[in-house]
Amino acid sequence: MSNLNSRQQMARQSAKDFVAHHIIPHAAEFDKSGEFHAYLLKLAKPSKIFAMAVPKDYGGLGYDATTQSLVLEEWGYGCAGMGTTLAASILSMESVLIAGTDEQKARYFAPMVAGEIGAFGLTEPSAGSDVGAGTTTATKTADGYVLNGAKCWITNGSFASVHVIFAQTDPSKGTKGISAFIVEKDRPGFALGDVEHKLGLRSSNTVFYSLKDVHVPAANLLGKEGDGMKIAMKTLDMARPAIAALAVGVAQRSLDECVKHLQERFPGKPYPGQSLQFELADMQIQVEAARQVVRHVMALRDAAVPFSKESAISKTFCTDVAMNVTASAVRLMGSYGYTSELGKFMRDAKIMQIYEGTNQIQRLVIARAVLAPTPIAVSTLKAGE
Amino acid sequence: MMNATMNENRAKIAKSASVFAAETLDPIASNLDHTGVYPRAVIEQLAAEGFLGLFLPEKWGGTDAGFASYVEAVQALSRSCAAVASILNNHVLAAHAIDRWGNESQKTEYLAALAAGKKLGTLATYETGSTPGVGTDALIASRHGTGFTLTGTKAFVRNAGAADVYVVFATLELAAETDGMTAFLVDANTPGLTVGPELDTMGLKGCPVAHLTFLNVSLAEGTLLGSVTGGTAIADHLLAVGAVAEGAQTVGIGKAAARHAADYAKHRVQFRHPVAALQAIQTMLTEVATDSHLAWLGVQQTAQLIDSGAPFKAEAAMVKAFLARFGSRMLIEACQVEGGLGISETAPKGVRENLPLARMFRDIAGTTLLDAPADFPDKLIAEAIA
Repeated sequence: MSNLNSRQQMARQSAKDFVAHHIIPHAAEFDKSGEFHAYLLKLAKPSKIFAMAVPKDYGGLGYDATTQSLVLEEWGYGCAGMGTTLAASILSMESVLIAGTDEQKARYFAPMVAGEIGAFGLTEPSAGSDVGAGTTTATKTADGYVLNGAKCWITNGSFASVHVIFAQTDPSKGTKGISAFIVEKDRPGFALGDVEHKLGLRSSNTVFYSLKDVHVPAANLLGKEGDGMKIAMKTLDMARPAIAALAVGVAQRSLDECVKHLQERFPGKPYPGQSLQFELADMQIQVEAARQVVRHVMALRDAAVPFSKESAISKTFCTDVAMNVTASAVRLMGSYGYTSELGKFMRDAKIMQIYEGTNQIQRLVIARAVLAPTPIAVSTLKAGE
Repeated sequence: MMNATMNENRAKIAKSASVFAAETLDPIASNLDHTGVYPRAVIEQLAAEGFLGLFLPEKWGGTDAGFASYVEAVQALSRSCAAVASILNNHVLAAHAIDRWGNESQKTEYLAALAAGKKLGTLATYETGSTPGVGTDALIASRHGTGFTLTGTKAFVRNAGAADVYVVFATLELAAETDGMTAFLVDANTPGLTVGPELDTMGLKGCPVAHLTFLNVSLAEGTLLGSVTGGTAIADHLLAVGAVAEGAQTVGIGKAAARHAADYAKHRVQFRHPVAALQAIQTMLTEVATDSHLAWLGVQQTAQLIDSGAPFKAEAAMVKAFLARFGSRMLIEACQVEGGLGISETAPKGVRENLPLARMFRDIAGTTLLDAPADFPDKLIAEAIA
């Protein structure tokens, strides 16, 4: 039974087909080489899937949140590294959706509709979980701002044509002094550093970059000066369920591969022992529950109901499920798990518990909602408190 | 029997393994992980320091220090480089099999060479079928005059290609003759034996894993290890001893990861304080430390049972079962503490040190998994408590 409408079902089906043809057959080789999967951007271009979050008014697919999560789950099923490229590009677009003017939206979304990707530049070496500790500055000039500093762990950093970058316009104000800027990749002074080699999500591009006297016009400021932290938090609220959706895909894939292996290895024996049956059942329970958690938060978002707490829950629960289920799948397959693609799923899942806000930061957000004197929606809390 | 001298000896061996690990393994561990080339020189150094002979009698060049001392060494070495520990464990298990079940001529032929590191040994136990002897490529032994002919495949053999001698378990063609396996000592250069391509493992790079193919491999009677019907008992024993050795390897990785993550947490400042001051971080580190400590007690106690000749298989199975549950979790937690650096395969800009946690994450999965089906211990434990 599915309570998805026919458009949502069609979007899911075409994502399934795309993943089966273009992602699953190549995921292992890109994981091994660690090279960026540039081929995928070309193949995905006609479908405009990288612009699925862009409203139709701006030439995008204008998918609702639920539909986006269906696509992301399929991409996670194929390869979480490749799915991360899609999710991270959307992440950068969310900031523009939240705070951009019509002109900024049109400018930012045009390349996305044309098949290019964006990146979200928040993290710095000294500012991971402590987002407010960043030292990148934006100094006001006559016609705009000059950015100086460095960003690290930036997904899509080497390949994005446009970036949303956070910098201090007034360091004396702490988190209230952070502002968000659109920065085009070819601005002088924007210099890409080394690509990071990661345990998992290996074909997803992760890069360090530096900003040295990078001039941007005033028209590139998103929202007002000092709005940066608020924009970042709202962006992450919107983006975390995307990671949750990828994680559901990873978990489902591990379970499927594990079952396929058991059936191939023990032909004519439809039921293994009870302990194994129960383990498989537990894996399915987790995956299905995780999927529904994503559906729930996306339904709230589509209904324009506050979903900040549910967003944090979805990211935490689904990536923890992905970690558990992928590790169980590798374990149940023993030597086969250790020498197969199953190991990749486990390595991919580990990073998902960390990026886009560690699951510990999510728990702080959730606990704050749980412990509120009168239960209130977390989204009413001010960002950065 | 526990006594002060034995404790002192064990401590001495643990200390010398730690020194060896720091001086010889720390400098090569990261590179070994990246290249995956079998570290022959390091194994020779291990032999020169006497680590290959800890569990062998003095008569054959060993030091007869016992298994409890051996696991001390494995634990210490694994803190720096689990791949080398894995090579060592498989080698030592093969030597132990020959020491325990070999006849005098087999011992003469192999043990001194294995203790001195002149030869490398390993076990070939598993098959791709659901159980050994079942499946289209099971390794079948047929009698041929006074000797045997072996045809089939052994799967996931560690030290494959590097080993000079394999302890091979085969199923006798005439099922009526025995209901279990038969063990053989097979020289690596025996005609008809081929080592398949090295498998792409997640971790423990440098400890090669491959399938062995036997095509009409002709073995003389003298290659039989133990009795014709004794193979299953030998395999069961080695599986249990191996579980304890691998337990020590897992504990070593876990303890090193806890140490590294704790050091990181003390230095990483977020929210104006080292993250080690955060209770949530302390809890994560506590879990890793607790799991590795309790597992270590289980490893040590079971190793002492092995040395005393008491039954130990249920206890070994418990070590295996415990670490199947909690082994990988130690690194899942330790990596989480270090965040981005915990999942870095190479040091990012501005970080001087080689970061070991990503390697350890992959290594610990291999240590707890690359052996025996994950549910094997449960049956043994259930039988023991029934």
